[in-house]
Amino acid sequence: MRIRRSLLDVDDLSREEIELLIRRSAEFRAHPQQRSLLAGVPVLNLFFEASTRTATSFTLAEQRVGADVISFAPGTSSLGKGETIADTAITLRAIGVRVIVVRHGESGFARRLAESFDGHVINAGDGTHAHPTQALLDLATLHAEFGRFEGLRVAIVGDILHSRVARSNIVGMCMLGVGVTLVGPSTLLPDDFARESVRIDRDFDNVLPHVDAVMMLRIQRERIAASLLPALADYTIGYQLGAQRLRLLRGDAIILHPGPYNRGVELTDEALDDPRSRYEAQVSNGVYVRMATLDLLVNGSAVPA
Amino acid sequence: MRVLIRGGRVIDPSRGLDAVRDVAIDGGIIRAISEHVEERGHEVVEAANCIVAPGFIDMHVHLREPGQTHKETIGTGTAAAVAGGFSAVACMPNTSPAIDSPAIIAEIAQRADAAGLARVYPIGTITKAREGTEIAPYHQLAAAGAVAYSDDGSTVRSARVLRNAALYARDVRGPFISHAVDEDLHGDAVMNESPHSAKLGLSGSPKLAEDVIVARDVLIAGDTGKPWHIAHVSTATSLDIIRWARARGTRVTCEVTPHHLLLHDDLFVDYHARAKVAPPLRGAADSSALRNAVRDGTVDALASDHAPHTAEEKSQLLSAAPVGFSGLEIAVGAYARALPDLPLDRFIALLSTNPARILDVEGGTLAVGSRADVTIFAERPWTVDSRRFYSKGKNTPFDGVRFERRVVATLVGGRLAYHVDRGVIEPLAYA
Repeated sequence: MRIRRSLLDVDDLSREEIELLIRRSAEFRAHPQQRSLLAGVPVLNLFFEASTRTATSFTLAEQRVGADVISFAPGTSSLGKGETIADTAITLRAIGVRVIVVRHGESGFARRLAESFDGHVINAGDGTHAHPTQALLDLATLHAEFGRFEGLRVAIVGDILHSRVARSNIVGMCMLGVGVTLVGPSTLLPDDFARESVRIDRDFDNVLPHVDAVMMLRIQRERIAASLLPALADYTIGYQLGAQRLRLLRGDAIILHPGPYNRGVELTDEALDDPRSRYEAQVSNGVYVRMATLDLLVNGSAVPA
Repeated sequence: MRVLIRGGRVIDPSRGLDAVRDVAIDGGIIRAISEHVEERGHEVVEAANCIVAPGFIDMHVHLREPGQTHKETIGTGTAAAVAGGFSAVACMPNTSPAIDSPAIIAEIAQRADAAGLARVYPIGTITKAREGTEIAPYHQLAAAGAVAYSDDGSTVRSARVLRNAALYARDVRGPFISHAVDEDLHGDAVMNESPHSAKLGLSGSPKLAEDVIVARDVLIAGDTGKPWHIAHVSTATSLDIIRWARARGTRVTCEVTPHHLLLHDDLFVDYHARAKVAPPLRGAADSSALRNAVRDGTVDALASDHAPHTAEEKSQLLSAAPVGFSGLEIAVGAYARALPDLPLDRFIALLSTNPARILDVEGGTLAVGSRADVTIFAERPWTVDSRRFYSKGKNTPFDGVRFERRVVATLVGGRLAYHVDRGVIEPLAYA
């Protein structure tokens, strides 16, 4: 019997598997039609939280690898209780579902589901905890740019506390030898985030000249009501990537954004239009990375490269 | 009925006694403690290689009656108590309805009598329905049998209401007990705020949320003169605040729990709620400070905060699952694990003499002529298995943990209510 694997966060993969996955996604970019890989495998997209980009990206990836795609958006109300999670997992397996791609507003939901589901679970975002395929596509974008990970320096800027994208990127980057610098105000970036190979530097201008990539996280207006931020105009003074700060960023560095972005808040039009911006590459990489993830989990890593 | 506890090492901190003695009980009263008592129609409890102590009192438990009998009843809760070595418990008032009227206290007393196991001392609310606005009828509650007052489970938000409550209740017997958490700072937290919560993407409760309320409440205690007790202290700073308050003459006592003494906030990696509790489990520095505070006398009592819930409730997602877990049946083993170096007379005082003094109730002594509430324990290894709990709440973060100290027998009013070889002994067995 094959051991069923899940992707709950980036560290469910080995460093070698991440590298394999990135190579495979580059191959899929050249040859996107791979309908034999998961031909006839039932894959359920279970999105408790609204999603446009991630859900669409997963659906296209699933179709490209030939899966039977089922999509279900139960809303946030149902399936909240522990016993219900286990019962639901058993029911879905009995129906024949082999892969569940799940997004939920609570940290840990994907893990709780995987624990009861005799199949593969792919975490498409759980609360503020993890979003591993987003991190993998960010890593693929970095690798496409620099051809390596070891020794790169990346700044992640903004609302780290509420960002599952930041957490998964920190996990992945630390595994691959990428130096991470976190930038943001203490309300959105508590000192508790500092650890070995993760630095905190609250002076964005000081950080910019030294990084190979800067990842700008979305700032949500609800942080103002929660007294975590003053007016956005105040936040932008310290942490917005605009025309002036773009001059501090090296010419060969790149700008990443997990989207959806707020123009004029965490970055300006100049940053979005800057030739160093890789937003579109990130989004398009997402489909290939997700194809490679499905292939790796369902077929194992022994697939001929 | 005559009982003879034979050959145990009798340790009674109330009288400085520590010697191998026989204990003779008749009519529920301790009649003699001497080197040899002749057996004459006694029921004999062999206590060789055991410690014989004044009955343990757990001053912080949730019995869930009235209103939450799916979690626990006074019957199952007091069975858990005697199985855990406790001849008496003080039950917190966050029931449905809350313990804010003499009628509810009378109902609890009646059910405790019917169960016939551990003594039950009801704790009344500080505010009506624990809503934090109107103060409770302390004279009526005291007359009905309340021994202390607390809105446990939440904090009285308004300092004005709490101060008025303490002033009004100043002439009523029994301390106020603080459940110290600033709800605003706590927010929707499910665990301690720490590098662990940051990594797991879980909402963390800062230690500050506890410390600011401990500071406020000891100041109100000092201002009003009301005796005060801080429940389940979990931070080093709160201990410092309590030391400071005492140094300036405020009458304030405090307790610590087995879980805060031993466990840390690294128990959430699987996102299960078995270690979700209020206040949350902190880090190693805090649990070390708590253990030291027991050793140096800052801590007056050990209390389990026995908070039973059903398996279904605890298996919910972290955000939905309730706080707390069963504690009565692991407490003695856990305290000994946390404080293996603590002299036995101190250990016993923290579990009997001191809680009796804080609550101003009978007990905490083996003096001849006093009520025969006795706890017998031994250094005997055992492994926690929550499936075997008498409590309905069959969950604890200590499941599978091996402890070295075990309760051998519990006597309540001279009646053997629990023996390790026989289990809980229902009163009917005597009829």
